[in-house]
Amino acid sequence: MLKLIKLEWKKNNIGKYVIKVIILAALITLFVYAMAYLGIANDPDTGVPDTAPGNEMISASIEMFTGMSFLILGGVMLSSFIISAYKNGTMGLMFSYPIKRQKILVSQMLAVWIFDFAALVLTKLLVYGCILAGSRFMTSSFPIDFDIADPGFYIVLFIRSAVTVSMAFIALYIGLAMKSSKAAIVTSFVLVFLTQGNISHFTLRHNAVFMSVLTFLSVAFAFLSVYKVEIRDFM
Amino acid sequence: MSYIVQTSRLTKTIGGKELVKDVELHIKKGEIYGFVGPNGAGKTTVMKMITNLWKPTQGEIELFGKTLTPQSYEMLRRMGSIIEFPRFYEHMSGYENLKLHREYMGYYQHGSIEKALDMLDLTSAADRPVKNYSLGMKERLGIARAILCKPELLILDEPTNGLDPAGMKQIRSLLRILCTEYGTTIMVSSHILSEIESIADTVGVIHRGRMRREIAMKEIEQMSLSYRELSVQHLEKASYVLTEKLGLTNFKVMDDGLIRIYDTAVSTQEIAKALALADVQVLAIGQKAETLEDYFMKLCAKSSAEMEKTC
Repeated sequence: MLKLIKLEWKKNNIGKYVIKVIILAALITLFVYAMAYLGIANDPDTGVPDTAPGNEMISASIEMFTGMSFLILGGVMLSSFIISAYKNGTMGLMFSYPIKRQKILVSQMLAVWIFDFAALVLTKLLVYGCILAGSRFMTSSFPIDFDIADPGFYIVLFIRSAVTVSMAFIALYIGLAMKSSKAAIVTSFVLVFLTQGNISHFTLRHNAVFMSVLTFLSVAFAFLSVYKVEIRDFM
Repeated sequence: MSYIVQTSRLTKTIGGKELVKDVELHIKKGEIYGFVGPNGAGKTTVMKMITNLWKPTQGEIELFGKTLTPQSYEMLRRMGSIIEFPRFYEHMSGYENLKLHREYMGYYQHGSIEKALDMLDLTSAADRPVKNYSLGMKERLGIARAILCKPELLILDEPTNGLDPAGMKQIRSLLRILCTEYGTTIMVSSHILSEIESIADTVGVIHRGRMRREIAMKEIEQMSLSYRELSVQHLEKASYVLTEKLGLTNFKVMDDGLIRIYDTAVSTQEIAKALALADVQVLAIGQKAETLEDYFMKLCAKSSAEMEKTC
């Protein structure tokens, strides 16, 4: 399986994604840093941050910006690794190899999941680290509500990252069903709005039931994407 | 008889449309099997089922003596194929594409990539991205990939599409070499019959999803398909001479002043002499043979007529 994952990274030019992730991480860090220390989110009249309800703490903004970026990245990568392969016919080539089809698809999904998860965790650590470093010299407009010395901080960070990245499988399933990369990417955006957005005071971001349902759906859709693939005709 | 590929009542239906029905196909080990039929006859459908890309609606496929099932992955290790048009990772070079193929096939013989590229005259283009290849080069790279791991069975769906005449000739020679020197069994489809005719050992004719005939090329040659053709001024008189004076019965009078003599008992000189003595003017005389194309056209016309009758 590890060999298949490595081959997926190789043939999909993973170096290109590494560069994109580095640029993305730098931009998010710069943006959150500017929000916290350069006052770009502050109301010019009052001088206090003009934030949506629930976004008063700095960790909320970090989680939101990293989560939405990497959920979309996951959708884009899955559509490039899998849906495009179906569309341009290279999946037919993959199915001509002496390898179980399910194993091929799972390796492709894992190749994206592992990369996206690692990139998200590292980006979050970078942003949290920079904000913490900045707090030694400047005063943050947003209260700093995290403690990197607490093991609980890392547990939550890992779990949230895994849940966010896994949601891209919902986008994958819809993209496969509609045979469209665009459908997968649009679904990623819809998921971002559902999980990160808010209408006035209403948001599903902290709704544990909703997040649990989405996590369950992510796993179910990942399963459905490979279900019966052995006996399906390659079209 | 040892068959490497054998199908039994192979049927494929998609969306209520019967693409192929009851196809019985038999490919012997070490032969080149030409699979011919007009566009849309069902050649690609059958080949997709043999390579396990599509699953039969009914019927069975036997490969290497074992029934093909959706789980028959190991059989794919012994096969090389191009179905429709070869697909590549376009941003990668030809060499990298072949290397990737070798990794997936679990085949690590040193120098195999260089050899395959050399056989298809692609060495100089090996390091260029495939997206910069011409159509013909991609087709050749597809063949290089199909033969890279020395398959026992090679399935090629119209492999000379996009090739110039020199390229076609090169592929024909290559297939013959693979067959004779490496013992590779080759199934090659085409709608260009002259291409198949010169390389195939056996030909299978498919038309409108039904297998019309499987026949060895040797058999076609021996089926009295070669004949002498006379062009004469007086058909009736000439026919009388052939029957009464020379005792020939196996000949056909054509509409356009031509007579085709399939009988080989009397020499051409004797025929010419008898006609001259009877004062029948012979305008032309020559040895001819029915091509595979003639045979194929006859089969297709016959099957069309049969189908119209049943409808």
